[in-house]
Amino acid sequence: MRKSFPVEDLARDERFVRVPIMERINDPRTARREEGPGKAKRGPGRLTPDRPDAPDAARALMHGIFVGEIQALEGAGRTCWDFEVGSGNGEGIPEVPFELKLDMARQCWDEARHCEISIKLSDHMGTEIGEFSENTFLYEAACNPDPVLRLTGVNRALEGLAIDVFNTMREFGDVAGDPVLEFCEDWMLADEVTHVKMGSDWLRRLTADDKERQQRALEFQRVVDKLFSLGGFRGEEEDSPVRLARRFRELAGFKEDEMDTLAEVAREAREEMEARVEANRAAVNG
Amino acid sequence: MADPKKPRAPFAPWDRRELPGSFTVEETARRVGHYKWIEMRLFEVLGGWVATVPELDVKLRLGTHCYHHAWHAELWHKRLPELREMNPDRLTVPPNDEMVAFVDALTEPEAPELTIEKLVGVYRVLIPAKVAAYTYHRNNTSTITDAPTIRSLGFILQDEVDDWRDGEMMLQSLIETEDELQRAIDHQRKLQGLLLAAGGGIAGPGSIGESYVTEEETHA
Repeated sequence: MRKSFPVEDLARDERFVRVPIMERINDPRTARREEGPGKAKRGPGRLTPDRPDAPDAARALMHGIFVGEIQALEGAGRTCWDFEVGSGNGEGIPEVPFELKLDMARQCWDEARHCEISIKLSDHMGTEIGEFSENTFLYEAACNPDPVLRLTGVNRALEGLAIDVFNTMREFGDVAGDPVLEFCEDWMLADEVTHVKMGSDWLRRLTADDKERQQRALEFQRVVDKLFSLGGFRGEEEDSPVRLARRFRELAGFKEDEMDTLAEVAREAREEMEARVEANRAAVNG
Repeated sequence: MADPKKPRAPFAPWDRRELPGSFTVEETARRVGHYKWIEMRLFEVLGGWVATVPELDVKLRLGTHCYHHAWHAELWHKRLPELREMNPDRLTVPPNDEMVAFVDALTEPEAPELTIEKLVGVYRVLIPAKVAAYTYHRNNTSTITDAPTIRSLGFILQDEVDDWRDGEMMLQSLIETEDELQRAIDHQRKLQGLLLAAGGGIAGPGSIGESYVTEEETHA
């Protein structure tokens, strides 16, 4: 089996439909959907039970969580395989400490459980596997050949997004009166805090004597965080569908200034998205 | 109420543990090093295969089992310094080159249509060999002096047998045609041959002891 497994080869059964995220963002129909009669809607809107489309939006988000969990499982699994055990200073195939691999194996188990939970919850919410499309940008962040950058991208950016998403869904379960959803999301949230903490700890340990590598890793995290902000999907605006979960991120080792930076990155992503939607709208309206 | 001053036997009548065991400290450390090596190879490949397997139930099981074997590797890693091996990496080695060839063949399948071969290697060849070697070790080491190894072996064997059952059931559900059955048999035959060349078990020759009595023993 190869070291490093390309995203296009990710194995799926026939129910799964893959759509590149840029194709979805650049779809001119997105602009049409945003246009209401006399409305200037800025974003997709916060997920609340009183929204007319709340059931569909929640089911779509749950399906997104499910495919995200599969990719997180695959990413952690590949980190077990792709690197050799060593001090991290070897030639050739990058090396990682034995304990880092153990953490990644533990994460495999956690993500496998999250897949199981998501499948059961999707069923509970009336969704089938494959009802919504899958994009693979989560796994792509898990393909970086430098283990430090990979851990930072996956465990701090990707799993950090998972904290925000699970907290949002947990709150949605609470206000929607769905104790099953609230209960499960709370358990997954606990795991994700652990995963982000692992990423923060390994970033610090592996780059303690290499500040330049640490900076590259943090820059990579910023790029991934921007991508994961999904054009305003995640942010601190009142109408952001997924809100930044500052309290849980703090538990996971994020500092206040790091969260401020992340909020800024999310704002940038939202502004870029709005400009893109405006351009699409202009193109559609001719 | 019993008299608290009355002497009692240090070993209760039902406690049949004995001092002698088949393995010295050095031999135990050697075996434990091989165990750690094979557990590492196994959890690494299970993690790597997750992305290559399209069957959703298998994908999730591999992710779960990956951690089981990582935890076993961790248990052995922690046991080595207790067996006077202060550099655990020194003994974290295969028993011979043939074992490396076996693991290379086991970990070779990658394509999404090769799930049967992946599972056969792990659940019909390697895990049965692990169960055999671990059981032999548990049953032959000193039940008093080597209690920590026995405790780890107990936890590990529980996982191994559970995972073996999971894997075998996944295989039985995947094998639906004569052609698929032949693929499973062919791959198992190939891997068993390589394991035999490696001495027959995960710790090399003697992994499960020696069943044949020697000429001298017969006439002793």
